Amino acid sequence: MADDISTENTEVVLDEAELEIDDAVKKKLGVGFWIAIVWLVLVVGLAFLAPVLPIDGQNDVAAGGRLESPSMDHFFGTDAAGRDVFARTIWGARVSLSVGFIAILSGLFVGGPLGIIAGFFRGKVDAVISFIFLSLLSFPSLVLALLIVNSLDRSLKIVALVLGILAVAPIGRLARANTIVFAEREFVQASRVIGAKNGRIMVRELLPNVLIPMSALALLGMAVAIVAEGGLAFLGLSVKEGATWGKMILEGADPRTLRTGTHVSMSPIMVLFLTVLALNYAGDRVRSYFDVRETAF
Amino acid sequence: MRYILQRIGQLVMVLLAVTAITFASVNVLGDPLTNILGPLASVDCTDVEAGLVEDISTRGGTSQGDCEVIALTRAEFNLDDPLPQRYVTWLGDIATGDFGTSFQNQLPVSTVIKNKLPVTLRLVGMGLFLSIMISIPWALLSAYRANRAFDNVSTVVSFGLLAVPNFAMGVILFYFFAVRWQIFPTRYDPSNAYSQIKSLVLPALTLALPLAATYQRLLRTDLITTLQEDFVHMARAKGLPSRTIMVRHALRPSMFSVLTVFGINTGALLGGTLVIEQIFSVPGMGGEIVTAIVRDDTPVVLGIVVIIVTAFVVVNLLVDLMYSILDPRVRRG
Repeated sequence: MADDISTENTEVVLDEAELEIDDAVKKKLGVGFWIAIVWLVLVVGLAFLAPVLPIDGQNDVAAGGRLESPSMDHFFGTDAAGRDVFARTIWGARVSLSVGFIAILSGLFVGGPLGIIAGFFRGKVDAVISFIFLSLLSFPSLVLALLIVNSLDRSLKIVALVLGILAVAPIGRLARANTIVFAEREFVQASRVIGAKNGRIMVRELLPNVLIPMSALALLGMAVAIVAEGGLAFLGLSVKEGATWGKMILEGADPRTLRTGTHVSMSPIMVLFLTVLALNYAGDRVRSYFDVRETAF
Repeated sequence: MRYILQRIGQLVMVLLAVTAITFASVNVLGDPLTNILGPLASVDCTDVEAGLVEDISTRGGTSQGDCEVIALTRAEFNLDDPLPQRYVTWLGDIATGDFGTSFQNQLPVSTVIKNKLPVTLRLVGMGLFLSIMISIPWALLSAYRANRAFDNVSTVVSFGLLAVPNFAMGVILFYFFAVRWQIFPTRYDPSNAYSQIKSLVLPALTLALPLAATYQRLLRTDLITTLQEDFVHMARAKGLPSRTIMVRHALRPSMFSVLTVFGINTGALLGGTLVIEQIFSVPGMGGEIVTAIVRDDTPVVLGIVVIIVTAFVVVNLLVDLMYSILDPRVRRG
């Protein structure tokens, strides 16, 4: 008897300890997360406002010459063709961010429902969908992107959608895993008992719960897609029209330009790095914020 | 045993699916006849075959000869068969070691792969070696005094390393070590074994740094857990020096999750060196498949995809099996 009571007590104490750690994690979210968000808002805002900002067009040759070092006239200097690197970085953000955004959105719209359906119905449906995910993951991703982009065209839409295909499997797998966990929970069973149809359960009960971890992954995935665009650029197969971050880094990456105008590649690298870092950090924080199981760290 | 067979069956299915998708996409999205013959393929032969047009080859028009070439080519590459049948034929050839012939230079694809694969393998090998050589001491040092200055700086550094895209890392290393300080060559130097190894240091480091950061994170977490175990306290109580405890006692039982991720990454690496090879002009499989894709050299593309995907799938299987040997619970789950 006495033993029973004492174990009950320790359990209560443990629960309280866990709650405290949870609170600590939530408090920790603060500064870094918001700095990341501010940076992202800044980049997205500048990209969005590019046409009305007082900056050069992306192909305008600036007065002052080629490979000029950064100055007050040209924050990031000028490139080998005499174009303002700062202006081009902002114009490039439009393409790079759109590619990332469209890619991850299409990944969410295809992978999310597939994952929820697989996790909800299990059995044969699950086997088929999981197999599709596994095949997609086994494909060397850049090779798949190359194959499709090369045989179709190099428009922003195609490049973004191709990178979206690559996002389907990881997002789908996460949605499936979360659906499996939530499908066993009481509120889902309750909704089934009162006669809700499968579709309603999936949309009204499961989707909102699966959406949070998916959105955390989406932030990470957007970083991956933006980086993948750069990879495609280095293979000569990125978006054809206009500046992108990947293409700008490539343009500044030959030994001669690197020697005399390091800023041409290093400026977009810096912006790209900070953006990826911000997306990674924000994604990581969102995940641990909502992940109730994670108590350590 | 049943588990192993199940896994193998599943992986064979994946291999089939991936090669089928690649095969279909290169054949449907591009016209193989045009890729082999060039402009000649657009000659319209229906009239000639019907005998409606006389031989006008002397005037540069459609000729009997051209049409024979086309017919021969179609027969040689089985282009008249339906797509699924061609896939099966191709698969049969692959199974017997015949990867076909490159459209571009008429070399057997197996020769092309034989020339390029060793360079890429060496690059991947060096990259893995460097990633281990960096991550293990790094993790030991940061776990030894967890949450102190060195560890905190490490966390920031590894998070930062993971946010540097591989091509950006490549350009940065290239700038400092090849262009500015000229320690390493700017182009791949194939002249002798030493220069080859030297040329691969920077690309291997580009490959290794993000991996090292990942492994350091994993190993550090596991080490910290292990260091709280009783046998570590026991070793400490015996008066063993910290270095011995860290390296001889704590390291080995902490390697579990690192080994798993190490295996998974290794499988994917063969397909992950494309961009890095391009930056450092390494004459490996990456450059080859990019050229082949741009030139629509279907047999080479397919051959390399088969190699890359097989490597990925086989390594994953091995990791899985290793896992189930180390931890019997996995076999039942």
